[in-house]
Formats: sequence, C-alpha cells, structure tokens
Amino acid sequence: MADPLHQFQIQRLVPIQIGGLDLSFTNSALWMLIAVGCAYWLLIAGTRQHALVPGRLQSVVELAYEFVAGLVRDNAGKEGLRYFPLVFTLFLFILMGNMLGMLPLPFGFTFTSHIIVTFTLAMGVFIGVTVLGFVLHGAHFLTFFVPHGAPKAMLPLLVPIEVLSYCVRPISLSVRLFCNMMAGHTMMKVFAGFIVTLFSYWAVPAIAPLAVTVALTGFEFAVAFLQAYIFTVLTCIYLHDAIHMH
Amino acid sequence: MTRLATRLARLAPVLLGAGFLSAGPLLAASEGGGGGLPQLDATTFPSQIFWLIVSFFLLYRLLKTKAIPRIADILETRQDRIGADLDRAAKLRADAEAALKKHDAVIAEAQAKAQKRLREAQERVAAELARHQAELDADVARRLKDAEQRIAAAKNAALGEVATVAAEVVQAAARRLAGLEIGPEEARAAVARVVSAGGR
Repeated sequence: MADPLHQFQIQRLVPIQIGGLDLSFTNSALWMLIAVGCAYWLLIAGTRQHALVPGRLQSVVELAYEFVAGLVRDNAGKEGLRYFPLVFTLFLFILMGNMLGMLPLPFGFTFTSHIIVTFTLAMGVFIGVTVLGFVLHGAHFLTFFVPHGAPKAMLPLLVPIEVLSYCVRPISLSVRLFCNMMAGHTMMKVFAGFIVTLFSYWAVPAIAPLAVTVALTGFEFAVAFLQAYIFTVLTCIYLHDAIHMH
Repeated sequence: MTRLATRLARLAPVLLGAGFLSAGPLLAASEGGGGGLPQLDATTFPSQIFWLIVSFFLLYRLLKTKAIPRIADILETRQDRIGADLDRAAKLRADAEAALKKHDAVIAEAQAKAQKRLREAQERVAAELARHQAELDADVARRLKDAEQRIAAAKNAALGEVATVAAEVVQAAARRLAGLEIGPEEARAAVARVVSAGGR
C-alpha cells in the first residue's frame, strides 16, 4: 500500500543555499506561488468586465470580497476595515492552498498541511495583533488580561489563565488548520489505498472504501473552505480584541 | 464558571496538537530510518518560511495595489448608480404626489362649485315655490272673502225679503181676520218686534 504520508513530502525542485540556510525552491513553494497566481488571476479576470450587473466570475469575486469585508466589519468593527487587505489576502491564500490541495495531481501538494506554514501565518497574525494592541492602547493594553467584573480574589487565578489563553492563540490557530488538512488528506489516502488493496483480492467489496473516499472528498472540500473561514474569523476576532479590547 | 469552561474548551485544540506533535517522533521511530512525518523535518522549515513570506507578501501587494481597488471601484460605481436611481425614484415619487395633490384640489374645487350651483338652484326653486304658494294663498283668500261677502249680501237680502214677506203676511192677515188696514211701516215694526222677542 502506498505511504499515505508520502503526499506531505517536501521535494527540492531548485536547490538554493543562502548563508548556510537551505532556501530551496520546493514543491511547497511552487504551490504557494500557484495559489498566489490563481487568487490574483481570479480577482483580475472577475473584474475585467467591470459590469454593473455582474456575470458569474464577477459574482464570485464580489461575493468573496463582500464575504470577507462582512467578516471584518462584523467581528472587528468599522475600524477593522483598515486591515481588510491583509485579512482578504490571508483568506484567499489559505483558501487557495486548501482547495488546490484537493486537485488529484501526481505532484499535488497542500502547503497548509504543514505545521510550519500554518504556524508562521498564525504567528504573523499573533505578533501583528499584539503590536497593534500596544500601538493603539499603549501599556493600557495589559488590562486586557484582567477580566471585567471578576472578584478581586479570583484575579491571581484568572490573569494567568487569560495570559495563557492569549499566548496559546497562535498554537491553536495553526494546529487547527494544520491538523484538519493533514488528517483529512491522510484519511483520503488511507481509504483510497484500501480500494486498491481490497480490489486485488476481491473486487466487489472494494466499493465500500470507494464510497467512503467519495464521501471524504466532498467532506474535505467543505473542510477546506471551513478552515480558511475559521482562520479568517479568528483573525478578525483577535483584531477586534486589539482594537477595542473586550 | 462558564468563562472558565470556554477557556478550557479553547485549550482543547492545543492539547490535541501537543499530543499530535509528541506522537510525531514516535511515528518516525516506528517507521525506522527513512520515513517519519514530513511536517516535522526541521530542515525544510527555513525554505518553507522564506517562500511563504515571499508568496504571501507578493499576493498582498498584488491585492492591495491592483485587485482590491478594482473590486472596490466596481462596488462603489454600483452603489453610486443605485443611489442615483433611488434619488431619481424619490424625485419622481414626489412629483407624482404633487400631481396627485393638484388633481385632488381640482376635483375638490369642481365638487364645491357643483354643490354651490346645486344649492343655488334649490334655493331658487324653493323661493319660486314659496312665491307661487303665497300668490295662490292670497288668491284663494281673496276669493273666499268675495264669496263670504256675496253670501252675507245674499243673506241680508234674503232676510230683508223675509221681513217684507212677513209684513205683507201680517197686513193680509190683519185685513182678513180683523178687517184692519195696516200700513206697511206699521206691519214691519210689528214683525221686527215679534222677531226680536222670539229671538230671545
């Protein structure tokens, strides 16, 4: 049976060494650039008509734009719209990464199934939001860790919990996306492997893992969208915390 | 209490992740030698982080400078157009309402005029009727009076006649019964005397 983890293998396509660091152009990097290209092509092709009544592609672009703008407005407030381009980029980048990972290609690759990628994204969000909080509120931002209306006696317990839960955000954010993408893709591969294995023995029951694989494929598409959405929503909520504090 | 619970619930994915990460090396060990979870191969980290940052900021630049202004422009144009259409609709509506008001006013005026005319006509007819009635009443009253006068005259004449006839009867009776010759004045006085006595 094929190794279900093989799909996560990094392959160096163009070896690059800079100052002792291995910055090789890999299949991961290739798919990141493909994701950038697809996202950009979608937006530009969708807005080419500049139609008053949008066509199909333009509707997709406008829906995506207004969907993310709505997320930012609802979760981070009007002030959050200043950071809309960044959030929109984040959403499109993750969504494209997840969706392109669903393409059944022999050299297919899902860069969001790598913890280092999701963790870097999450750390970027975390550091950016924390810096923003301190820039907007100064030292006053520290009171964010003191829950409102909590009894004084409870503070020694609550403040460390708040600090911990805050610091854990990049981990939960990145691990959620990474785990979902990796677990889903592994499951698909495992069940797809079952089809081949079972088929070589006895053809008819192989329909069972086939059905599971079909169901999982649909499920994975939902997860691919949902995880991009969750990452974006949480980013917006963190933005809200930094801008408004509680 | 519920806050604490939500906090703990938020920690759940972390615990899951920690477990997963700690399971990684085990998985690597179990496969022995070559394999292992590719995600935990730290030698790929610098290149992945580097290319992630490059591609992410490439996309960010492209979106910020090109794509987002284009989409925003489309949406704004549509918003302006819709706003202009709504404004025009509001203006047309106001015009229509003004026209309706004017129309109502014209109708009300016409109705008032018609009612006035109707009232005038009614009053004129009523006045005519009253005048006719009065004339008729006066005519009837005059004729009644004439008739009464005529009747009274006839009655007086008849009464006069009765007195004359009675006097003649008295003359004749006195001549026949008593052989007395009575003058007409005397007979008339006698009748009058008897009538006034009888009338008592």
